[in-house]
Amino acid sequence: MSLHLQPVRVATSSDDSESQLVFAEGFLVAMLVHLSEQHEDDAGRWFLEAGFGRIPSRDHPTFLDLDEAQTWIRQQLGNAYVS
Amino acid sequence: MASNFTHPLFPLIRKLDSIATLTDEERQAVENLPVRIRALRARHEIVRHGEKASQCCLILEGWACRSKVISEGKRQIFSFHIAGDIPDLQSLHIPLMDHDLCTLTQATVAFIPHEAVRDLTMRFPSIAAVFWRDTLVDAAIFREWMISMGRRTAFDHLAHLFCELYLKQQAVGLAGEHRCPLPITQGDLADATSLSNVHVNRVLKEMRGKGLITLRSNTLVIEAWDELIRAAEFDATYLHLQKRAVP
Repeated sequence: MSLHLQPVRVATSSDDSESQLVFAEGFLVAMLVHLSEQHEDDAGRWFLEAGFGRIPSRDHPTFLDLDEAQTWIRQQLGNAYVS
Repeated sequence: MASNFTHPLFPLIRKLDSIATLTDEERQAVENLPVRIRALRARHEIVRHGEKASQCCLILEGWACRSKVISEGKRQIFSFHIAGDIPDLQSLHIPLMDHDLCTLTQATVAFIPHEAVRDLTMRFPSIAAVFWRDTLVDAAIFREWMISMGRRTAFDHLAHLFCELYLKQQAVGLAGEHRCPLPITQGDLADATSLSNVHVNRVLKEMRGKGLITLRSNTLVIEAWDELIRAAEFDATYLHLQKRAVP
């Protein structure tokens, strides 16, 4: 399954604003936020700010980079149709 | 009276005394409880889900929490406990544990055999009433946590929790002047509020930025108490902290 990323800025009431919307087959499935320096050990990691559909919206894992995040998102989506 | 300050079970006397005035006889009976005192390291499991408890654990120093771990190591903290608390008091009547009790910091605890607690409560019904009242207040705190979990924003939730932790410690003489120990990690706060570490970090920074709190060296300083309780819509009724004569 191919994923498509679209950079956006997001208002989080914090220093975290760099973000990527993640689309699968045209559907928005997740929003990843690049963690700023305020997160110390986690700074630079990508945080699952929100997930839709099959992406758990209650869990908020962080990922080393966008590749790792996309691998995880693909696993969650499996082969199922996104909607 | 002065001897209480050195008696190992003073935190329990202080807690009971914050609820109802003890007679000399009651005080002596508490002090004479056959306890086993132990120093525990931080993150020590005192009693685990599924175990059958035969004793109650009184916290003398440090912090503990009740919690449960579900799949993938996800942990929910149900309650924080400080000196004077007996977090597993309910095991006296329902000994099969349905959750874990763990230390969060280094702690000193006193284990009191169920038999001794039962005997104490039979001989002194007013102490039994104080213990019962304590479990009812516990339930009131759970209700408030449920509201926070389900209905409050991350900011309001943490603000509410800070007000609660300050007042609970103040009631037993462990805090004052809007300053109290907070010897727990952001991860613990996240597990207690069902928020992610990232969200907790953001909210704490926002609170600091607004001049509401300072957090340093495991100490919480509430710089703007009125504003914090307004933000959290905090109403302390559920803590039932006013001293009440128990019939």
